Amino acid sequence: MEHQRRWQGWVLVGPALLVTLALFAAPMVMVVLTSLYRRSGGLTDRTLSFDNYIRLATDSTIHQALWNSIEVVALTVIFSTLIAYPFAYIVAYKVPQKWQALVLLLTVVPFWTSYVVRSYSWLLVLAKNGVINQTLVSWGIIAEPFTMANTRFATVLAFVHFFVMVSTLTIYASLRQIPRNLGLAARDLGASPLSVFLRITLPLSIPGVVVGAFLTFVLAIGDYITPQIVGGGNELVLPQLLMLQVSRMGDFPLAAAMALVLLIIVAAVYAVSAKNLTLERKR
Amino acid sequence: MKLVRSGLSWVYVLLIFGFILMPVVSLVVFSFQATNLPVPPFTGPSLRWYEALFADSRMIEALRNSLVVGVVSGFFSTALGFLAAYGLARYRPRGARAIRAIVMTPLGVSYLVIGFGLSVTANELALGRSLVLVTLGHIIINLPLAFAIVLSQMRDEDENLEKAARDLGAGEWTVITRVAIPVLLPGIMAAFLLSFTLSWDEFIIAFFLADFDVTLPIEIWSQLRTGLDAKTNAAGTLVFAISLVALTLAYVLNRAVSQRSRRI
Amino acid sequence: MRKTQLTVSMAALSTSAFLLASCAGGSGGSATSSGGASSDAPQELNALVWCDHTDPELLAPFEEANNVTVNVRDYEGTGVALGILEQSQPGDWDVFVVDSVDVPRVAEAGILAPLSKDDFDFDQFFSEVQLPEIHELDGTLYAVPEKFGYNTVAFNGANVDAEKMRDLSFLWDPELAGKIAIYDYYIPVMEFVGLELGIEPQNITVDDLPAIEARLVELKAQSAQVGDVVSTQTALATGEVEVIVGGGEFSTSVLNAENPDLDWILPNQGGIRWQQAIGVLADSEKQELATKFVQYIVSPEGQAALATSSCYWGMPANKNATLTDEQKDILRWDEQSDFIANSYPYYIPDADLDAAMLDVWTRVVVG
Repeated sequence: MEHQRRWQGWVLVGPALLVTLALFAAPMVMVVLTSLYRRSGGLTDRTLSFDNYIRLATDSTIHQALWNSIEVVALTVIFSTLIAYPFAYIVAYKVPQKWQALVLLLTVVPFWTSYVVRSYSWLLVLAKNGVINQTLVSWGIIAEPFTMANTRFATVLAFVHFFVMVSTLTIYASLRQIPRNLGLAARDLGASPLSVFLRITLPLSIPGVVVGAFLTFVLAIGDYITPQIVGGGNELVLPQLLMLQVSRMGDFPLAAAMALVLLIIVAAVYAVSAKNLTLERKR
Repeated sequence: MKLVRSGLSWVYVLLIFGFILMPVVSLVVFSFQATNLPVPPFTGPSLRWYEALFADSRMIEALRNSLVVGVVSGFFSTALGFLAAYGLARYRPRGARAIRAIVMTPLGVSYLVIGFGLSVTANELALGRSLVLVTLGHIIINLPLAFAIVLSQMRDEDENLEKAARDLGAGEWTVITRVAIPVLLPGIMAAFLLSFTLSWDEFIIAFFLADFDVTLPIEIWSQLRTGLDAKTNAAGTLVFAISLVALTLAYVLNRAVSQRSRRI
Repeated sequence: MRKTQLTVSMAALSTSAFLLASCAGGSGGSATSSGGASSDAPQELNALVWCDHTDPELLAPFEEANNVTVNVRDYEGTGVALGILEQSQPGDWDVFVVDSVDVPRVAEAGILAPLSKDDFDFDQFFSEVQLPEIHELDGTLYAVPEKFGYNTVAFNGANVDAEKMRDLSFLWDPELAGKIAIYDYYIPVMEFVGLELGIEPQNITVDDLPAIEARLVELKAQSAQVGDVVSTQTALATGEVEVIVGGGEFSTSVLNAENPDLDWILPNQGGIRWQQAIGVLADSEKQELATKFVQYIVSPEGQAALATSSCYWGMPANKNATLTDEQKDILRWDEQSDFIANSYPYYIPDADLDAAMLDVWTRVVVG
């Protein structure tokens, strides 16, 4: 009976595994293989070689793009977390329980607009004669409109806009799982509110922070649209350089090598944070 | 002191909401612009861009394609994810941890890489780009999520229900369709809704895999690259409206279904 | 009971989705590309083009007259187009719009199909754009000129002195710091920068590249952004920048109606002249239909629509294009002979120089 059950288990799980194999594992193998090809004379040369990896190691343009990516994403993670944490805290502890779901919903709903159009809207909001500049000038706060669009600032801002929402949700989920009585017990024993926060709330909410930061990192470092639309082509990040290889140079082998770099970076970050990457209540 | 802190909290919340809403409000407001450019000053209100949008057969077709791809890929992601979660939780096959790891892996890979990988593979197999490929791409990115969501909803207590059904003579298929699925329906619907949403607005994978039949994000992107006017604002607002409708519908259905499930 | 509820819910969800799509699509006319099994389902023609050919107003007359759907994919830069062709199967594409200066190498590579000169009335074309030496190979016609314009400077006349713009060196003046957008197409912009250094495009060699790169880096330091046709147009229109380097009438004419101050000029050092040609692909399985499309594009009506198409405007190759006087004014129709005299056609470098130029460009842009 057990034997039959195990076998049936595989039948149920099988389709998902096969789909993952066909639509994920195989393409990833293909990417690795392609990275070992070369582009020469306008065509893809299928002889295996490490040319692209040598190029990755030596080409300063690629290093620069990679560095741009890391800086932009690091800034995004830091600011998203810093801005989201107080917000999540307020929603979890200061907003009456029955309104909490609604507040979170209102936080999420604006992101139901098209990502592409929303990014473009940021470009127009940040423009020299966009809403922000025009308001600041008409209120007399600044004399001349200042440049915000087409800069790294715009890219980070647009990213933070989205990822504050993501981190708020994960940090909120973590905060909600902290048993109320822990804080209450500590207060009874004479701890100050600040102490409760620093020694109980904050440490126990770290999983939420880490999950949010990880999601932010993975999604932002692979994002092509936001930097492309609001960044102004002033400094390119790795996804843009990859797309440049694909569309302008037709150099799929080099693009494949870059894709692997992205993969490895994410895997490395995952390995470092794996322990904390769960929102399940620690029993 | 507490009042000040309370006040500060409210100011902070308002600031956050202001920040979040800024581009969205701008998007919606300028969709009613009367002149061409979606920048201040506001010269509306005018419906001309919505008229232009609905007369734009390419946009409407892209919208239709997005809905179809969203529903189909959402269905398959959810179905496969449900079956895998159910199989894993109830049958506990050997290597359960490995299975879980394999199914979840695509989550850690950027969409850019997945799209690129699928496109390179399709090219090697001389498979032309198409909406079918886009659907497949969306299935693989949503399968892990659907799987995780359904798995997190499976409780040990519900297993007794299934055991009872089996004791009463029900076959496996009946157990699944008449006991497991109804009980898990809120989770299944959440998985479907999430899969649909992520597919519906997904750009980069569709960009790599679509041919001339495009999805809405691609058409919006194309139009943004070939002309500057407020029609894309109208499209963005429309996407927003549809998402709101779908969300409300799903919320209402979910409550109706959960209430019935709880009566078990 | 629950099952009925479930079925009804799912049915409601899917039906509402499809209803929404269909009733919205009803007015849009759906008999086009996907799925129609009717006997007179329209044929399809696939065209690889610059974005000015994606305007529905350009395509609609041809589509209606011939019961055809023209599918378009746009690209920026011949290198991109060649990459797309390489990734495609034979027969995937029927029509190719390509820069005139690239026609020789594309024809030699066997990508284009030979055309019959009898199908076209060359008397209608401006003599300066006919250029048989690049559109023909061994006396056989491979592509027909269709549109031309300039990569020079476009600017906001309200905020920038047009007289100052007549000197190319003004672009590097501190007065314009942070107010420039650079059009992201390496060949014309690098050649334009070369003009400022006194190097004519056809004389550019690898040895000139370091000087050009240095000047380009200085220009980038002056600029607020590097972007494609539409993002540079947007930047100029929203006041983000005052000048587009590499821009021209193709940047400003589209915006002219809303802001007549947006203008363009050829500096004393000269500008770069771009020219597009259109041809049929050798692998196309619809040669006749594709040729018909080419004929439509170079006809007076097609040329008028192409000259004023939504992505960017430009001069039609056909003198008889049915443009209004107002449109001709915006295109500076009467000044064209002067402009042509004062501009240099793109010079397309050989493969090695091309790769070197692209490397320089990528280095400068990545920052």
